[in-house]
Amino acid sequence: MTRANLSRRTFVQGALLAGAAAAVGASMSGCMTESSSSSATIGAGDQRKKVEYDEIKKTCCHGCLGHCPVLAYLKDGVVVKLMGDPNGGESRGSICPKCLNQLQTMYSPRRILHPLRRAGERGENKWEIISWDEAIEEAATHIVDTIDKYGPYAFFGSTGGGGSYSSNQIKTTCVSLGSPNIFEPGAAQCLMPRVCATVFMVGDNQTQSVADSMSTEFFKVNDNASEVIVIWGAQPSVSQTAQSGRGMAELRANGVKTVVIDPNFSPDATKADVWLPIRPGTDTALMLCWFRYIFENKLYNKEFTKYWTNLPFLIDPDTKLPVLASELFPDFAQSTPDDTPAYVCFDLKTNALTPFEFSAPKDALVDPEVFWEGEVNGKTYRTAGKIYADEADPWTLEHTADICWLEADKIEAAIRLYTHADDDGTTGGICHGVATDQHPQSSEASIGAIGLDIIMGYINKPGASITKKGPASIPMKRTTQNAPQTMTKYGCCAIPGLSDAANQARMEKAAQEMPEIQKMVNQMYKDGLGTTAHKGLHTWFMVHIPSVLQAITTGEPYKPRLWFDVSGNKLAMLANASSWYDAISEIDYCICQYPMLTSFHVEAADLVFPTREWLEEPLTDHKHLNMVFLQNECTHIGETVSHSIPTAQILERCKEKWGGTLPGVPNAYVGEATEEAVKASCAKTFGAESWDDLQANIDTYVPKVTPEDKYYVYNQHEMIVDDGLPAGFGTESRKLEPYASLYLKLARTGYPYTYPEPQDPCDDYSPICTYVEPAESPLTDEEFPLVLTSGRVPYFHHGTMRHSAFARELFPTAEIRINPATAAEHGIAHMDWVKVSSRRGSISARAYLTEGVNPRCVWMERFWNPECFDESQPNKTAGWRECNVNVLTKSDAPFNPAIGTYTNRGFTVKIEKGEKPANIWTEAREFQPFMPTLQSEPVTKDVI
Amino acid sequence: MRYAIVVDLDRCTGCDTCITACKYENSLPLGVRNTRVNVVGPTGTFPDIEQYWLPIACQQCENPGCIEACPTGASYRDEETGVVLINEEACIGCRACMQGCPYGVRTLNPDSGTVTKCSLCFQYHDEPNWKPVCVADCCTGARFFGDLDDPESDAAKAIAAAGDNVHYLPDPSNLKPSTAYILSPKIAAWQNDPVEVARDL
Repeated sequence: MTRANLSRRTFVQGALLAGAAAAVGASMSGCMTESSSSSATIGAGDQRKKVEYDEIKKTCCHGCLGHCPVLAYLKDGVVVKLMGDPNGGESRGSICPKCLNQLQTMYSPRRILHPLRRAGERGENKWEIISWDEAIEEAATHIVDTIDKYGPYAFFGSTGGGGSYSSNQIKTTCVSLGSPNIFEPGAAQCLMPRVCATVFMVGDNQTQSVADSMSTEFFKVNDNASEVIVIWGAQPSVSQTAQSGRGMAELRANGVKTVVIDPNFSPDATKADVWLPIRPGTDTALMLCWFRYIFENKLYNKEFTKYWTNLPFLIDPDTKLPVLASELFPDFAQSTPDDTPAYVCFDLKTNALTPFEFSAPKDALVDPEVFWEGEVNGKTYRTAGKIYADEADPWTLEHTADICWLEADKIEAAIRLYTHADDDGTTGGICHGVATDQHPQSSEASIGAIGLDIIMGYINKPGASITKKGPASIPMKRTTQNAPQTMTKYGCCAIPGLSDAANQARMEKAAQEMPEIQKMVNQMYKDGLGTTAHKGLHTWFMVHIPSVLQAITTGEPYKPRLWFDVSGNKLAMLANASSWYDAISEIDYCICQYPMLTSFHVEAADLVFPTREWLEEPLTDHKHLNMVFLQNECTHIGETVSHSIPTAQILERCKEKWGGTLPGVPNAYVGEATEEAVKASCAKTFGAESWDDLQANIDTYVPKVTPEDKYYVYNQHEMIVDDGLPAGFGTESRKLEPYASLYLKLARTGYPYTYPEPQDPCDDYSPICTYVEPAESPLTDEEFPLVLTSGRVPYFHHGTMRHSAFARELFPTAEIRINPATAAEHGIAHMDWVKVSSRRGSISARAYLTEGVNPRCVWMERFWNPECFDESQPNKTAGWRECNVNVLTKSDAPFNPAIGTYTNRGFTVKIEKGEKPANIWTEAREFQPFMPTLQSEPVTKDVI
Repeated sequence: MRYAIVVDLDRCTGCDTCITACKYENSLPLGVRNTRVNVVGPTGTFPDIEQYWLPIACQQCENPGCIEACPTGASYRDEETGVVLINEEACIGCRACMQGCPYGVRTLNPDSGTVTKCSLCFQYHDEPNWKPVCVADCCTGARFFGDLDDPESDAAKAIAAAGDNVHYLPDPSNLKPSTAYILSPKIAAWQNDPVEVARDL
């Protein structure tokens, strides 16, 4: 192999020269002491210097959600070095490139150090520095004028994509101003589908995700019980390399078995016991196959499934809801409280349909059949388990292998590992990643992944994905759903797990105490753009992104006009990026806040507020296992502020202009308005008297540790509570609900979110895992024959770190992984430029040839934004068009019915040999304009 | 003493932390690295494939070709620790040492006009907890450092624990590289003449 761009280091040939020299050396040296004697004649020797510093500050990285504890070395107030903190529970002293490269982004020439007002046309990248007071006044004036003229719904907010921690702030800004229209490019495309399913099925919002610092049970240091982990559409070694990546490395070293389901031969796939390179977009088919195999071979946890899940419940064929005992047995008198309904099962002891009351398994009066079908009063009823088994029935190993482009024997091997079919293991869990969130079957995939762990009984036990942690997880009474928290205080949203009467009483009380607010919040839920069709967006009080875009461009049902974005490059993050670019001219005014100027700000922003980088911003609640760490203020330059401050200050100014009131919910804003308040809040978290006390005694206060015996709690659902019954789960049935009937109620009325006033109904959402062939399918698409999926590389978190020169030296430009056989058909060699086209547009990327991808698939790093706008460029461009995978992605229907997810992954493309775009840098030295320049900036005091 | 790094390729996931940490610690400019991490593989045909990452820095050879090739004595070995080093004052940037090293671990720094390579963070050798930053920061705990002649060192213990899974880069000229690699067949077969797949070459 001598292809010029496929490097083959010819050690043997190259060594010839060395060999000649070494042969002499060997004859005269033979031992190292002699060989090194020549050093005696050399003067000063190796002169490398230690990094000089005068202070070390304990802090915490915020380059991703791993939040690894790190040590910042400072010299005269400038951060000169970062090292991992060996006390990091999960990171164990590791630190990754995303963290290290903060040394460049902190002092990047792209930093914004002062409020900026656009001075030229949008896209010209011309700015005027203005004072904070001017900037706040200008933002508030535009907001007040817009809302006075067009109403609160003309205001909309967005976050996400930039490693944002401002989500709550912009959301509560919208609520304060009376607008429901808040979105985030993630949310429906990241984590929310999994959270929604977990909340509905388990009653808790701790999902199976390890990339969001959940499922930390896997990373327990002492007495780790993990046996087998299924990494489904996740890349723990890439997403949070120093945290979940380190955790996975430790697990594998300890002999834990792994199954990796990923179209890409990811680092975790290379180490897996079984790798299933699934066809993108077919995950739910594979999940149904797992259900089928596990049911058929009786590999599920039978006792757990019978007594802790709703699969034995009889389902009404008309309503699709579980039949209450009182419906079939009018004389039945329930012995459990009103918040714990009795259902109906087929009892194997009596061979009859029987009321099935909640109890500890040992106290159950029935032996329920999970898979039953039969006639009752002329109607054919099935149990939830039977409905699931019927749905899964077509998905034999062979059929699934055919549809998912897998091998039947490998699917079987994976299932047998997961279920301990051939060993005596007892625990395991699915680590479910973002991949399926980025596809229209997002909610069905989440329902399937959680359902599998449920039927295996891998819940609340050592070594399982879904466990609850800490002393607060010990139940005192019947467990109720712990989300949504945000809006329940306004008398909206029912809480599953409370009785109907209790929910009604809550609502009536709120209706008396704050009738107008309750009505307004309820109305906002109902009016959020696109939420009537996709009510699962209420999980996080978000709206449907394509519906926002449509409203902007058509004015239907109303026109959003003033955009406030608090994080990152939206042109890089949003699907079908060009369609958003086209809509920018429809936006009257765009306010942004971010530490950096990105191409989105160049193209869209009218006003930009400078926020702090993580080395500057005090923040807490960064957890590693049973320890809470502090993100410290290590230094501070310019007039930057903590992330909660711009929105807080602007709301205050708006309130003054409106004579002391806001058009939305009073006192809704969550977040501090001054740095002093930010610091006081941090100090309080750690139990310090003040910020000064916290800093002076940081080793005493940080980390805040929960003793292990109090932190690692298991089997909470079995604990007996005040009504004499096990606490159970925060669901309507008090059991786990793999048949997720709340999705049906959600579609029909918006329950539990749009309560007490219902939202208009839409078609039912599926309560179980189902499969739908992707709308753009490589099975039928002749024009665009390849299926594209995407994922992360270790250098970037979402859109961040693109302006770190060292990150770009290692990963300079967009890359498309292609199988060598496919590349050969198009005459494409390794590192050739490729034109990649979808029905939305075309971009350029360099080919990375690898056998690690199916010949009919291609893989790209997601959210590519070169950020190569620069004065040094002869042909200046904001850079988001050329290499951005989101120019290709699909933002039109079909959407996920429940959540509204569009298609970031698993759509079709074609490739051809291409040209390098004129504005894209690829050589290391070209990134010189990104090298840090602000180290000489004076360290500044708090500005607000 | 024979100070060296042992890399556990069963753990390494190719995140490039070692490269990045080294660049900051040693103030290397754009385009200059003292270590590289490339992919070996995937070998085989989809989907029956395997691969590993191969981090390569100065191998701390017992018979270093670079020292023999250097005309000025700038490349030398520290007597006490056995670490192969460069005296930049004596380096004339002639690149003879680069020819003398078959492992491609030496780079001419265009800013200084001298050759650079991994020194095992020798600037810290006088500290009791001397550890190269790439070892301290490694995201998978894959790097072990110490005196191979000291059976209690992390590096020596890692080699002892790895049994038959210890490998070295090809050494046809008897340079005796000290850097050991651990790779077990369950991850991938060690390639005696590895093909490195890179982006930047």
